[in-house]
Amino acid sequence: MTVTSYTERPGHKIDEADGLSVPWSRPSPKRKGVSARAVSVVTILVVLALWALSARLQLVSPVFLPSPVAVWNKFITVARDGFVDATLLQHAVASLGRVFAALVAAILIGVPVGLAIGISTIGRGIFDPLLEFLRPIPPLAYLPLVIIWFGIGEPSKILVIAIAMLAPVALSTASGVRGVSQERINAARSLGATQRQVVRHVILPSALPAILTGLRIALGAGWSTLVAAELVAATRGLGFMIQSAAQFLVTDVVVMGILVIAAIAFVLEFTLRRIERVLVPWAGRE
Amino acid sequence: MPHLVLDLHLVLDPHLVLDKVSIHYDGQAEPAVERVSIDVAKGDFVVLVGRSGCGKTSLLNVAAGLVAPARGTASINGKPITAPGSDRAVVFQNDALFPWLTARENVAFALRLRGVRPAERARRADELLALVKLTDAGDKRIWELSGGMRQRVGLARALAAEPEFLLLDEPLGALDALTRERMQTTLLDLWTASDVGVLMVTHGIEEALVLATRIVVLAPGPGRVVRSFEPGFSRRYASGEAIRTIKADPAFAAARGELTDAIFEGEAA
Repeated sequence: MTVTSYTERPGHKIDEADGLSVPWSRPSPKRKGVSARAVSVVTILVVLALWALSARLQLVSPVFLPSPVAVWNKFITVARDGFVDATLLQHAVASLGRVFAALVAAILIGVPVGLAIGISTIGRGIFDPLLEFLRPIPPLAYLPLVIIWFGIGEPSKILVIAIAMLAPVALSTASGVRGVSQERINAARSLGATQRQVVRHVILPSALPAILTGLRIALGAGWSTLVAAELVAATRGLGFMIQSAAQFLVTDVVVMGILVIAAIAFVLEFTLRRIERVLVPWAGRE
Repeated sequence: MPHLVLDLHLVLDPHLVLDKVSIHYDGQAEPAVERVSIDVAKGDFVVLVGRSGCGKTSLLNVAAGLVAPARGTASINGKPITAPGSDRAVVFQNDALFPWLTARENVAFALRLRGVRPAERARRADELLALVKLTDAGDKRIWELSGGMRQRVGLARALAAEPEFLLLDEPLGALDALTRERMQTTLLDLWTASDVGVLMVTHGIEEALVLATRIVVLAPGPGRVVRSFEPGFSRRYASGEAIRTIKADPAFAAARGELTDAIFEGEAA
């Protein structure tokens, strides 16, 4: 075995380049062929194909694993005729309504709490332990307590989602506030800003990118607690739909519901990223 | 009544005064600054120079009301300085502009704080932008501006507060040499036109000579005043002499030598 030195790698001899050019500083041509996106598309197609194949060969009973075609057909029927007294759109609207109501509540409480944590030591002392306590508890754990306290109505469902959203909103806001440059605050004060004006005109806008990131995380967290929130006494909602279907072993509706939840989550994430780009175009440019 | 005359003098003739100021930071054995007195009158351009650690920025922060002196007093027009105020607008080395606002909105910031109507503050901001030679940049976002343009916006923003004094903390420190030279004349033009009192911190020896009516040389360990110059070149610029002619004057070179010696005096070779 021969050891090849770096300068003499086969096919890469420096001497072959013209005298002035420096081969290793040339902009390397973009690697040909593969982009991450193409790989992702192939992956999805492969998973779909495996799914279709195992359904086709009946490796698993159709009761447990319906074929992609069956799921698609179910999507069409439920969208048109509905499932448990509501169309797919009505289920989705019910779920989205809860998640957005919860988001509004989480913003109204979480942003001021985050400001308090970021601005004042006392605020941090009060809210930090509470949030750290709340954050790791899974929604299914506090769901019974919420029901005992607030009943089985709509407010309980919104509350369960809002609790899951609170910590990401508040903690992101707090970290955004703590990241505000002292020079900016000093500049505003020397231009005559009062404490309140500093918060309103400097700290809030400075923290806005972080707050929006928090909202994005919160929306993801809230959306993923949806099924838990719709576990009890719901008559509409994607989570409710999946659970009812599961009780009757209508697996194709379960799978379809999961895919719809995933698709909506994807669209929400995408939309929020677009909103971020419009609202805080300066983020990452300072 | 001589008393009344004295009071009137203070009202009519604004002064920013640091009187035997000592600054002591928590956790440091030595004071950062010891017994420094500086008097800036309206129309003065006082420049603080000195080696690193001489406390020049600390002194500026005391004047701004951002740092409280351990001993001694800071006062403006006879009133003690306890907090930042728009009578002493600060321009920082890193522009500290607000990226969520356009250049015009940045300039208008102080007016917005005071509740001036949008149309009026846009008009005033455009005037100030023209004054700093940025007429067409009003709608630009901060990240679209070069370093020099940003500092011009920063200056215009400070002037919008209609301060009696401008506090400049190495405002040209981050700029390239050519931009800095251009900014020096801009600063002089603004100072001549507005008649504010300026207290400025800089590392640039030539910059200090060009701009200052008075240069205060500080030495570190702890920060104290070692010398004071009155170079007079900025007055010559104000009365119409070109900046190139001034810099070419042998007197300028001599002053530069003298100032350099004063700054590095007592430093271990």
